[in-house]
Amino acid sequence: MTEVLSTHGLVAGYGDFQALYDVDVEVHEGEAVALIGANGAGKSTFLRAVMGLLPVAPDMVHFDGAPVGGTPTDRMVQKGVAIVPEGRRLFTGMSVSDNLRVAIDQSSRFERKGCWTLSRLYQLFPILEEKARTPVESLSGGQQQMVSIGRALLCQPRLLLCDEISLGLAPRVVREIYAALPEVRAQGTSVVLVEQDVGLAKSASDRLYCMLEGRVTLSGRSEEITREQIGEAYFGGGHAVG
Amino acid sequence: MTSISTSADAVAAPPAIRVRRQTVSGVIALSLFVLVIVALSTMPWWAKTGTIRMVLELCCYIVAAQMWNMLAGYAGLVSVGQQAFIGVTGYAVFVLAQTFGINPFLAIPLALVVPALVAVPCYLLLHRLDGPYFAIGTWVVAEVFRLVASNLGWVNAGAGMSLAVMREYSGFERNVAMSVLCALMILVSIGGSYLFLSSRYGLALIAMRDNPVAASSQGINVGRLRFMIYVAAAVGCGFAGAVYFMAQLRINPPSAFDPMWSNVAIFIVMIGGIGTIEGVLIGALIYFVADRFFGEYGASYFVVLGVMTVLVALYARTGIWGMISKYWDAPWFPIRRHLLVERKDRA
Repeated sequence: MTEVLSTHGLVAGYGDFQALYDVDVEVHEGEAVALIGANGAGKSTFLRAVMGLLPVAPDMVHFDGAPVGGTPTDRMVQKGVAIVPEGRRLFTGMSVSDNLRVAIDQSSRFERKGCWTLSRLYQLFPILEEKARTPVESLSGGQQQMVSIGRALLCQPRLLLCDEISLGLAPRVVREIYAALPEVRAQGTSVVLVEQDVGLAKSASDRLYCMLEGRVTLSGRSEEITREQIGEAYFGGGHAVG
Repeated sequence: MTSISTSADAVAAPPAIRVRRQTVSGVIALSLFVLVIVALSTMPWWAKTGTIRMVLELCCYIVAAQMWNMLAGYAGLVSVGQQAFIGVTGYAVFVLAQTFGINPFLAIPLALVVPALVAVPCYLLLHRLDGPYFAIGTWVVAEVFRLVASNLGWVNAGAGMSLAVMREYSGFERNVAMSVLCALMILVSIGGSYLFLSSRYGLALIAMRDNPVAASSQGINVGRLRFMIYVAAAVGCGFAGAVYFMAQLRINPPSAFDPMWSNVAIFIVMIGGIGTIEGVLIGALIYFVADRFFGEYGASYFVVLGVMTVLVALYARTGIWGMISKYWDAPWFPIRRHLLVERKDRA
């Protein structure tokens, strides 16, 4: 399988604070990779660094084999990386369809071709069609998350970065949202899932990386990694396995 | 890098979306807008010189306010220093016409190059600042311009300049020029803003105002869009300044770089409704009427305007137009497009 994304000795931080130390992560085509770890382990920072929201050296991030570290965020979207940001960050004051249209407008500007159309998205999340004219702030958390995912998909990504999409949602809604992932991956889109819920992360991914204090402490195939290994890597005390 | 995986290409289909934008209220407003433009440009034949001057002032306020609206209401750039470009362009007209002897009416379009050129280095300096720091920065820039103009010999320093060349034209000729310029200013600023906002940039701008980080994550080049708006707003304000001071026939540093311009623009936009063109028109009319009736009260009148702005900012953030459109959904400048998905697309 070809590599879509790879990071090499990725180092990033905020001002004087270093949040990532030599992080090496690989994502192959069509693969789902989970990134787990406690709060402050550097998972979101990793996504931000990949997405060009934090300054990093060009060689630290490769997308499609080319160095892209530090590329401006809008260019990353143009190249085919989309993010479902933590906290959803929808455009308030706009309707559901206007939120989605921002992505449609931009991807048509880039002439990015892809399979995601509005009607396709409405099949994936039928409730969005019903609520198309509703302002996003009056949606439930789960529906908002669907808009956020939909917005990212309409960028026609080859790589979708999801930052804690289950956070603050009822288990039933979480299942509903995760049920959409196979459909996304069926299009050849690779997915990186940042997740606090270890069980969910394990079941939804092919491989996983566990992070602790800005370093990868464990990586391997999701079904082969045991709870005990994760526990050790999650809370420290152990060394890198796999 | 733009090519994408073959599996996705195979099922690629153009999005089956129809876009509906125009509304009945929009058509009525558009007809009225055309009527206003025609009325403005034919003012010398139906209005007195005094009326023309008043209308010209109102037009300048509308333009300055709409430019501030684009900056603060869409690009998220709160500037309190737009008078920098008003003054610079005003001076440019006087220098071109008076010092270099260029036809004053030709000097106006030529002078519009100046704010564009000045805005570029200003923005390069200011764009690193955020929020209130940016606002203060813009004010500092305007004050620097005022101080430079006050000390620059070839614009006659603090004493200012007069546009004596205008004596060569009859009162009627001047009125025709002023009227045409008013019509042109409104056409470019309001019509131009509307076209821009209803283009795909419009929604991108609104998205950017809501959340710049999320907007860039949708592929919007936030930096470039802000830069474009900043330069365009500088030119727009410059246009207003050029016309205003040409009508005044005199310019001096305190009037050219008067912070009052920004204050009025902020008042108009906040009262009328930030982020809407309708709000600017409503706000400008309110300010204009208030200024006629209460202007004589001086300082206390400004205190009342300031208090009103603060109250609106605290309790009615969407302004008068926001309150109206809550109950009466009839936009004059419909920007929102409605996406109508065609059902036949892929069962």
